Amino acid sequence: MSTQTASKFKSRRIPWDVIGSYLVMIFFALLYIGPILMLVNTSLKTTPSFMKDATSLATELHFENFREAWIKANFPRYLLNSILYTFSATIIYILTAVFVAFPIARGYVKYSGVILTLFVIALFLPPALIPQFQLILNLGLYNNPIGYILLFLVNPIGIVILVNYIKTIPKELDEAAAIDGCGYARFVWTIVLPLIRPAVATVIVLHAIGIWNEVIAPTIYLTNKNYYPITRGLIVFQGVYGSNWPTLAAAVLLLTLPMLVLFLFLQRYIVSGLTAGSVKG
Amino acid sequence: MSYHFGRGWSKLTPYLLLLPGLFFYFLISLGPSIATFFFSFTDATGIKGAPVNWIGFDNYREFLFMGRASIDNLDALKRTLIFSFVVTTVQFALGLLVALIVNQKLKFTNIFRTIYFMPVILGVVIQGLMWSLFLYPLGGPMAKLLALFGMRSEFLGGQPAEAFAWVIFVQIWANMGITMMIFIAGLQTIPVELYEAARIDGANAWQVFKNVTWPLLTPSVNTNLLLNAIGSLQAWQLFLVLLGYRNGTQVLGYLIYATGFGQTSGSVTSTFRQGYAAAASIVLFLLVLVIGMTLQTFLQRREKRILG
Repeated sequence: MSTQTASKFKSRRIPWDVIGSYLVMIFFALLYIGPILMLVNTSLKTTPSFMKDATSLATELHFENFREAWIKANFPRYLLNSILYTFSATIIYILTAVFVAFPIARGYVKYSGVILTLFVIALFLPPALIPQFQLILNLGLYNNPIGYILLFLVNPIGIVILVNYIKTIPKELDEAAAIDGCGYARFVWTIVLPLIRPAVATVIVLHAIGIWNEVIAPTIYLTNKNYYPITRGLIVFQGVYGSNWPTLAAAVLLLTLPMLVLFLFLQRYIVSGLTAGSVKG
Repeated sequence: MSYHFGRGWSKLTPYLLLLPGLFFYFLISLGPSIATFFFSFTDATGIKGAPVNWIGFDNYREFLFMGRASIDNLDALKRTLIFSFVVTTVQFALGLLVALIVNQKLKFTNIFRTIYFMPVILGVVIQGLMWSLFLYPLGGPMAKLLALFGMRSEFLGGQPAEAFAWVIFVQIWANMGITMMIFIAGLQTIPVELYEAARIDGANAWQVFKNVTWPLLTPSVNTNLLLNAIGSLQAWQLFLVLLGYRNGTQVLGYLIYATGFGQTSGSVTSTFRQGYAAAASIVLFLLVLVIGMTLQTFLQRREKRILG
C-alpha cells in the first residue's frame, strides 16, 4: 500500500535514499541500544546461565541480582555521597559564576576583557593534576569531602556561556533598575538571574554531569570507602565482582536507568551547552 | 561602561562579589596549571612534608632519553598520537555522516538523534562497563556478531594492539553524538533558500553537498576538529575503566596519572613521582599546543579561502 501512495506523488521510483537513510540510522541505533539491552538481559540471569550462554534470553527473571548489587555494592552510601558532592559544588559554583560573568559581560569591573581571557586560557594550559594534589595535600584536605568539593568550584566554559548570554540582555534594564533604587547585588539576584535562566540551567546541567561522572578525582583524592562517590564505588565493585556479570550488570543498570530518564529531560540543556558558540566558530 | 548602582565606595560592590569566583579559579585551576612548570623541575613526591629539591632538567632527560622506561614513554607518546588521529578523523566522518542523515525531513529522526547522543550523560564508568560486557569474549554479543563473518577477537583481553583498538572504538562510540550535535547546529544555520537555488540550477545531491553544505559548515568543521583533536590527546579515562594500566596500551595521560599517583589497577605499580609526572604533563601540554596551533592556523587559512 505504501508503494501505491508513494507512486501517486513521486512517479514510480523507489526512494532508495530514504531506505538507505533508515538503514544507516537503524544500524547505528543498534550499536547504541545493544549494550543497554545486553545489560538488561544479563542482569536478569543467573551466573550459571550467563556462563553457559552469555547472549541467551533471560527466561526466568532473577530480580535478586538487583537486591544483591544494591546491598553488596554499598549503593545507598555512595549515591548519597555523589548527590552531596554534586549538589553542593554545583550550587556554590553557579552562585559565584553569575557574579563573575555579569560584571565581565557589562564591563562593570576594570580589565573585564583580560579577566575573561584568563578564564579561557585555562583550557589550553597544562593539566593541573600534580600541583592541585600538592595544594589539597598541604591544605590538609586530602581524603576529605570538603577538599573534594573544592576541586569542582571551577568551570571556565560555564563562565563563557554565561557572559555570552548576559550580553543579549539589554543594558537599559540596569539603568532603569538603578534609578528605581535597586542595589547591585539585589539587581543581579532578582532581575538578571531569572532572565538568564536558560543559560544558568545549561551551565548547571553540564557542571553537575561532570561532577557526577568524575572518576579520576575520587581515585586520587578519596581513599576512605565512606567518602566514595558512586563512580568509584562501581569500579571497586567491578574489581571484586568482575567475573559475576549478572550482579555487576544489575549494579550498572541501577545507575544507568535513572540517568537515562534524567537525560530525556535535560537533553536540550546539554545540547545547547555543548554546541554553544560552535556555530559562530 | 558607566556603572549605575551607586557612587564612591559602593562602586566596589561588583569587584567584591566577583572575588570568590576568581579566587577559586586561581586557587584550583590557573595557579596549579602554571605551577606544573615549576614542579616539573623538582623531585617532588606525593608525601606531605617531604623535601622538594630543584633538579633542573633531570626529569625531562629521564623521561625522554634514559633506558627502557624512556622507550616505553616514547611508545606511549606515539600511541597518544595514533589514538588522537584515529579518534578525531573517524569521529569527524561518522558524526558528519550521521548528522546529514538525521537532519533530513524524515520521521523519527529526533528519536535516533537522542539515541546517539545518550552516552554523553552516562559518563566513562558506565560506558566502559557496558562495553566490557558487550565485548565479553566468551560468547558475548560482539563475539557472536564477529563469528557470523568468520572473525574472532580476544577484545579487551587480547594482544595490546587489539585491546587498544577496541578502546578507540568505544571512545568514538561514546563521543560521536557530540560531534553530530555540533554538525546539526551548523546545518541548521544554512539558509534553506540556498538549497532551493541549487536545486533549481539542477545540482545533484553530491554537488549540493560540495558547493553549499560543506563550505557553509566550516565553523562547525573547525569546532569539531579542534575539540576532538585536543580532547582526544588528553583523554585516557576509558583506558582506566576498560583495560587498567596495561603495558603496550598506555597513552600519555594515563602515564602521567600512574607515575604521579602510583595507583594503578593493573599489575604494574610505581611510586609517587610527582616531579617526573609534572614533566610528563608538560610534554603532553607541548604536544597539545603544537598540534592545536598548527590545526588552528590551517583551519583559519582554509576558512579565509572559503568564506573570504
